[in-house]
Amino acid sequence: MSAHNLLDHCQQALDLVRKHGADQAEIFGQTTRTITSAVEKDDLQISKSQQETRIGLRAFVGSQVGFASTNDPTKLEDAARDAVTLAKASPGDPHNVLPEPTPAEPVDGLYDTAAESFSTADAVKQAIRMLETAKSVDPRVIVGEGEFSAEIRNRVLVNSAGAEAKELGSLFTYGVLTTAREGELVSNMAFKFGAARNVGEVNVEAIARDSSENALGSLGAEPGESFVGQVVLDPYAVLNLFAPLQFQLNARNALRGMSRWKDALGETVAVPGFSLVDDGRLPGGVATGAFDREGTPRGRLPLIEAGTLRSFMHNAYTSHALGVANTGNAAGSAGSLPAIGPSNLMILPGEVGKDELISEIKRGLLVSRFSGNSDPISGDFSGVAKAAYLIVDGKIDRAVSGTLIAGNLFETLKTLSGISRETERVFNYSFPYLRLEEVSITSE
Amino acid sequence: MQKLLERIVAGASGWIELRYQARSSKRITVRNGILEESSSALLAGLGVRALVDGVFGFASTTDVSEGGALEAIEAAQSAARTSAGAKKERIKGLAEAPMAAGTFAVATEDPLDAHSLEEKLALVLRLDEQVRAGAKEIVSSTASYGEMQDEKVIVTSDGASVRVFDSKPELRVLAVAGRNGDQTMGMESSGVTGGWSDLLGVTAPEELVEKAVRLAVEQLTAPHPTGGTSIVVLDPGLVGILCHEAIGHTVEADIVLGGAITSDKIGKAVASELITLCDSGATEFSPHAVGILPVDDEGVLTQRTVIIENGVLRSFLHNRETAAHYGVAPTGNARAYVYSDDPIIRMRNTYIEPGETPVEELIGGIKNGYYLRGLGMSGQADSNAEFMFGVKEAHRIADGKVGELVRGATISGNAFDVLKSVDVIANDFAWEHGAGACGKGQAAKVDAGGPHIRCTLTIGGRQT
Repeated sequence: MSAHNLLDHCQQALDLVRKHGADQAEIFGQTTRTITSAVEKDDLQISKSQQETRIGLRAFVGSQVGFASTNDPTKLEDAARDAVTLAKASPGDPHNVLPEPTPAEPVDGLYDTAAESFSTADAVKQAIRMLETAKSVDPRVIVGEGEFSAEIRNRVLVNSAGAEAKELGSLFTYGVLTTAREGELVSNMAFKFGAARNVGEVNVEAIARDSSENALGSLGAEPGESFVGQVVLDPYAVLNLFAPLQFQLNARNALRGMSRWKDALGETVAVPGFSLVDDGRLPGGVATGAFDREGTPRGRLPLIEAGTLRSFMHNAYTSHALGVANTGNAAGSAGSLPAIGPSNLMILPGEVGKDELISEIKRGLLVSRFSGNSDPISGDFSGVAKAAYLIVDGKIDRAVSGTLIAGNLFETLKTLSGISRETERVFNYSFPYLRLEEVSITSE
Repeated sequence: MQKLLERIVAGASGWIELRYQARSSKRITVRNGILEESSSALLAGLGVRALVDGVFGFASTTDVSEGGALEAIEAAQSAARTSAGAKKERIKGLAEAPMAAGTFAVATEDPLDAHSLEEKLALVLRLDEQVRAGAKEIVSSTASYGEMQDEKVIVTSDGASVRVFDSKPELRVLAVAGRNGDQTMGMESSGVTGGWSDLLGVTAPEELVEKAVRLAVEQLTAPHPTGGTSIVVLDPGLVGILCHEAIGHTVEADIVLGGAITSDKIGKAVASELITLCDSGATEFSPHAVGILPVDDEGVLTQRTVIIENGVLRSFLHNRETAAHYGVAPTGNARAYVYSDDPIIRMRNTYIEPGETPVEELIGGIKNGYYLRGLGMSGQADSNAEFMFGVKEAHRIADGKVGELVRGATISGNAFDVLKSVDVIANDFAWEHGAGACGKGQAAKVDAGGPHIRCTLTIGGRQT
């Protein structure tokens, strides 16, 4: 379906929802064309071509809301009827509102026309390059899984308040999962991810090499030691362990009384070196786009600034309910109601090198991946440190297996002792290396 | 649709598999008395898999007309041809299998569509309110209902032609308790293959509420466990997650070929001889398991697959490609979540067979240990069977009695080592993962469970 067609279908859906009895309505449409080439167990696995349209219809009857979606433009009338029926059956809520229509400034660099001629054969070439690079690092490396994907996505939003926004984007994403095996020894799985908006920026070799080196590093790891000490997390481990921050900073959770920071705006929640920013217009970002799921313009939003809580992430609902500005954080696809989420979430880099973070440690642990539980509410975290290395007298001593780390994320934020200047982008996140204090380390 | 697909397949060249799927789903979520979601989705499309020169290609489309199907077939065949030059190991053939014909439908006397949206909404509103009314410490409540009804038509050029109807409803409740800035949560869920009364009959909704509230409140004053190795009793929920996540994935033949720890273990002892572990398309021992699958997405009739028999590894889980590679019969484990997914090896209902001992005797024999119930917020396992699972509810066992609740416990270790340490298996059985879904690039509704078991593993707590 062309961009022009999608806009037509969305406008048609808008009329249909109103015809069936809605006072107000919002239609969000997406078409996606994806070409994927997957590798598995050291060989090319399958190539795919997928084409999908999805149209989401939100009906407002007074303060009642219902939502329906379909991927079939001939079913728009059924979906419109469903959305209105669901709205009428639902209790009302005065904060069910559409956002103020505000035109969004287009973002440059979202679309590479070369994506249009990118073929299955091109995707196969990239996937094979990724596979061969990973294998070339060491014969003990096994590529368990990998995927190269090229996507063209067209987004359209129209609503009864007069909003009309559309955006075309291209995105190339790739990831590889490797293990290393030598006789009976099997390493931890190592995963690396990369993304680019332009074909020219695609670099599958870098992530393939990193993934292989990480897998090799944990081969032959032996049980570690139990102590309370310093832990350096690499950006992938930060992603797993710091997930509760998104829960706490979601304004809907503040409204629900579930965020511990609901009354903490302006208060200190982290060390002075810690700043967290959501940037919807980040050049080259996986989640970059001019407008959010409700059509509100996105921008650069400081959430935690030098340790001080500055803002929550809002959509139209929470902005209305709390009487504050809408931050353009409505999130989700055309298949679901607008929720709240980050676009490109970044912990800003610090001033020290990651090697310095390690060299100052007498006895500690470097963790490349955290596989465990980080409770979004209590902040308690506990889990296995994957691809972990014991640090002794400022140097990496050896790889350790079966090592659990435990602590509390909110206490950790106030005692962080180091943030690296190096950062890495993982999906829609950009994180540095972090040094945590007083972490409980248990060897099995 | 079936006639159309049969005609298209008859006219196509080479091996081809067409899968039409129409899905209707609904979701209702109420939090703190506020309706957060009432939504429906109507999706339909066609997935096409072609085998050309020993390589699969896949395409999907939402255009389910004859013209759309023919275009998708061309795209799938082209993707296969393009890949053929680069693929090292070609598919030599697909294993012969009992290909399904006819119509298969979930048996229920109380279909979901016989119940109005208002009735479903009223239930969710009531459960949410009951959570908040459950205790004065409750600061937040959530209840949600979801349902998914599928119609599939699968036609292959080598003999399958089948229609499958499926119906899966589920309920979830979440209670958050707070005191002095500290917050804890309790979450309970249930899900079935079946109709409305099947869902409400498996676990009473009020029981979900009662358990979630109690767990959230009691954790507020609970201490953390002491880290270290311990003898424990695992409930059917944790037994299920151990079977599925830590063992099951390591015997999926695609993962095995990727270098899983099980690759050279067929015929070898991998667990205590008390352990018989299976994956089945049917709902063994207890009805309504959510992973019921009469026919897989390659059109193969499913079966009960014995993975570990009396401690000895007997079988991997196969699709037709891996079965041919290993020279065995397909096990009916090829599954695709929606029409736009290609079928890959997935589990169905994974479990340990029950033993003969009453649960009380498992606990009664422990001087110092833990009773562990249900999966907590997260869980993960590697292809070397090393796992880490959060535990929903953990109690100390002292002198044969279940005592104090502890908070934030995790368990970890190597799943095969844990199964070797099993010294007794209870005579009960339950499916516990009906509201969950497994993720492996695409979702799948799977179930897992078993009896209570007693074993030794590592508890994660705080080092003091």
